[in-house]
Amino acid sequence: MGIISVENLKYKYPDTDKLVLNDLSFDVEQGEYIGLIGKNTAGKSTLCFALAGLVPHFFNGAYGGKVLINELEVRQHEIGEISSHVGLVFENPFSQMTGSKYTVYEEIAFGLENMGLDRETMIHRIDESLELLDITGIQDKNPFDLSGGQMQRVAIASVIAMKPDILILDEPTSQLDPQGTDEVFKVIENLRKEGITIIMAEHKIDKMAGYADKILFMHDGKLIDYSSPGEVFSRDDLEDYGMTAPAVTRISKSLGIQNKQNGLYPVTLKELSREIGDTYELHRN
Amino acid sequence: MIPMNSIEIKNLSFSYTAGNDVLKGIDLTLNGAATAIVGQNGAGKSTFVKLLKGLIVPTEGEIVLNGKNTKDYTVASLAKEIGLVFQNPNDQVFKNTVISEVMFGPLNIGMDEQDAREKSMEALRKVKLDEYVDTNPYDLSLSERKMIAIASILAMDPNIVIFDEPTMGQDHEGKETLKEIIYELRNQGKLVLCILHDMDFAAEVFERTIVFNQGRVQIEGPTRDIFKQKDILHQAYLEQPIVAQIAEVLGVAGSYVTEKEVVSAAGACHDPNFVE
Amino acid sequence: MSTMTLYVDRNSILHNTHPLTKLLYVMVSIAITYIIPEVTFVFTVAMITLILLILGKVFRKIVPILGLSIILIISIIIVQGFFHPENQTELFSLGFLTFYQEGLSYAALLTLRVMNMVMSFGILILTTRHDELVEALIKKGLSPKIGYVLLSVLQLIPQMRATMGKITDAQRSRGMETEGNLLVRMKAFFPLIGPVVLNSLNVTRERAIALEVRGFNANRQRSFLNVSKEYRYQKLVQILLWTALIAAIVWRIVTWGS
Repeated sequence: MGIISVENLKYKYPDTDKLVLNDLSFDVEQGEYIGLIGKNTAGKSTLCFALAGLVPHFFNGAYGGKVLINELEVRQHEIGEISSHVGLVFENPFSQMTGSKYTVYEEIAFGLENMGLDRETMIHRIDESLELLDITGIQDKNPFDLSGGQMQRVAIASVIAMKPDILILDEPTSQLDPQGTDEVFKVIENLRKEGITIIMAEHKIDKMAGYADKILFMHDGKLIDYSSPGEVFSRDDLEDYGMTAPAVTRISKSLGIQNKQNGLYPVTLKELSREIGDTYELHRN
Repeated sequence: MIPMNSIEIKNLSFSYTAGNDVLKGIDLTLNGAATAIVGQNGAGKSTFVKLLKGLIVPTEGEIVLNGKNTKDYTVASLAKEIGLVFQNPNDQVFKNTVISEVMFGPLNIGMDEQDAREKSMEALRKVKLDEYVDTNPYDLSLSERKMIAIASILAMDPNIVIFDEPTMGQDHEGKETLKEIIYELRNQGKLVLCILHDMDFAAEVFERTIVFNQGRVQIEGPTRDIFKQKDILHQAYLEQPIVAQIAEVLGVAGSYVTEKEVVSAAGACHDPNFVE
Repeated sequence: MSTMTLYVDRNSILHNTHPLTKLLYVMVSIAITYIIPEVTFVFTVAMITLILLILGKVFRKIVPILGLSIILIISIIIVQGFFHPENQTELFSLGFLTFYQEGLSYAALLTLRVMNMVMSFGILILTTRHDELVEALIKKGLSPKIGYVLLSVLQLIPQMRATMGKITDAQRSRGMETEGNLLVRMKAFFPLIGPVVLNSLNVTRERAIALEVRGFNANRQRSFLNVSKEYRYQKLVQILLWTALIAAIVWRIVTWGS
């Protein structure tokens, strides 16, 4: 069994009739980077909430099935307990700042204080997360004086310092400029190298295709596909679900550039350049 | 005849505190073409459009809108002329139905009830929310509320429409809807300006692009010419649109802004049947 | 500026006093001016507070705040000066206004109390970082939730002011007039206040989630990043303050009948 195991998860917000999560089942292995895609109403955020325990503990409503995190059943444990296994970062960097701390350093300490860690451990962990997120230079600034990209990295650092095994990010770059977006994608790559399991909902599929090990594709609360980026983005029916493939894939499709072994289309520039190399090779022979 | 809308900007500077210029010496003439404004956060893009809209007053220089200085417009008369859609719809939505929210603007600028309702319905059809007229805006998602904010400006039928980051948080379908709206406005002869972080969208949809960097116009011109200048874009902390990057990998020279162009150019040299 | 703070960063004997000692001083110095209603005594207390402010190198900061309370003080003098029920002894007249001794001495008492109150709060607020004060209170058993509210309000109000600016821009951009006569301003009220309320509800909900996933509601013993500064002689000062309070109460009881 993986680090995350979801079995027949169903969920409905209070006072609504529609299942936002409709019978989802999937497993995630330790250290994987999962890209979560789907149109705006697909249920991506709700799934993120369910993995972090906010569904059903913070948002009530009808809940069925099971979510196991590190073999811990989410439904049976409080959010405070789950939060040491799962970290959650979401879209708006501004509302993730506590507002009760005056420096980035103290902001990151907030969660650690709530965990009751001793001071030395705290300092060690804060320094480590500052380093990982590349924000050591701004540690004494007021969180509200930062740019969006910096603020979002502080939000991630605050969660990472709590040493979760799993980090869930719900559209973390939606409100950032291109530079801020790159900063965030880069640090998430660092975190993956640290062995942290990552689940990231994101509309910027061109970027995400290059990072994710697997794509979890949702539509209307249902799981449509859960496999490699190449397989998911090579599907012919993406448009039917209001989705599209990365530009690289679409152009490759039009040009008939595909992997000779498995017939999949490239999803990143790197793959494209490899396939073209092969094509040239073929032509030369 | 479709009237030609234009904005002339002469030596425009702005600062909130003296000696700390947010914008410096901007000279531009905007007309006809749909124009994208790109640049890093803090480059002065939002300040620039607020000046155009008359929400703040230039420290130096002037803005002439369809032949008349912005200083000489009242808030209401400027609202008829120029519409600005802000980034965050939560900063404006306050009515309890979608339709009354959209009608707020038109009624403010003196349209009568029936006219306002018709214009608002039409605008809601354009943003594909016409089935939600009586819904409370806060029962819809943030991206749908963004569309309400857009409709509430479209319903006022201004000659110049400015969008601040409309693609933010929109999915594929949302972006397609935005494209249709922008093309339609342009075809009606309206002047469309759009602040964007999404270079792919900027390249595909807009004829002209202005790059802001540290309060100045770094470079501006036809979109095609701007996005081939990799180094200048890097200086402004921007990157080329993905199609341009793909064209480079495919080894086709030239500047490309749409997938179609890349496909037909690359098809010529990569078609398996096209081996020399 | 993103924070509302009145704290003045200096190095003084007051800055090196424990926040709770200063809080105790505020309580004691205010209480005794009510327990012993003697003008000379209250005057002495106010003078001590004033000297402390000077020692804390923050006297200049309190002047504008005292200035603000001057209107209150003047109205006290006027009202008490000629309406105090025990007015008998005529002191002087300004035109048709006659001031009485009883009223004026009562006015002096009230004035000194108000000034003492403002100044002693000044000692606490101007020389104490508020996060240090709140943390000290949490360690003494204040609920961390109340502590959080006290601290975050100071940062979030300026943020809300920024939101207010954006809302005004957005509504003006839809042709709403914000300047003009009363009717125009009243019409602008809902379009401005509506988004403020809805916006802050929204942000509050999101922030609640962010706090939740950082274990804010976990029922564990909390720890603190900032170590409490070492303060000397605090016990002694606190005992002295308690003694002063008790002495005042005793004095009051003893002199009750006379």
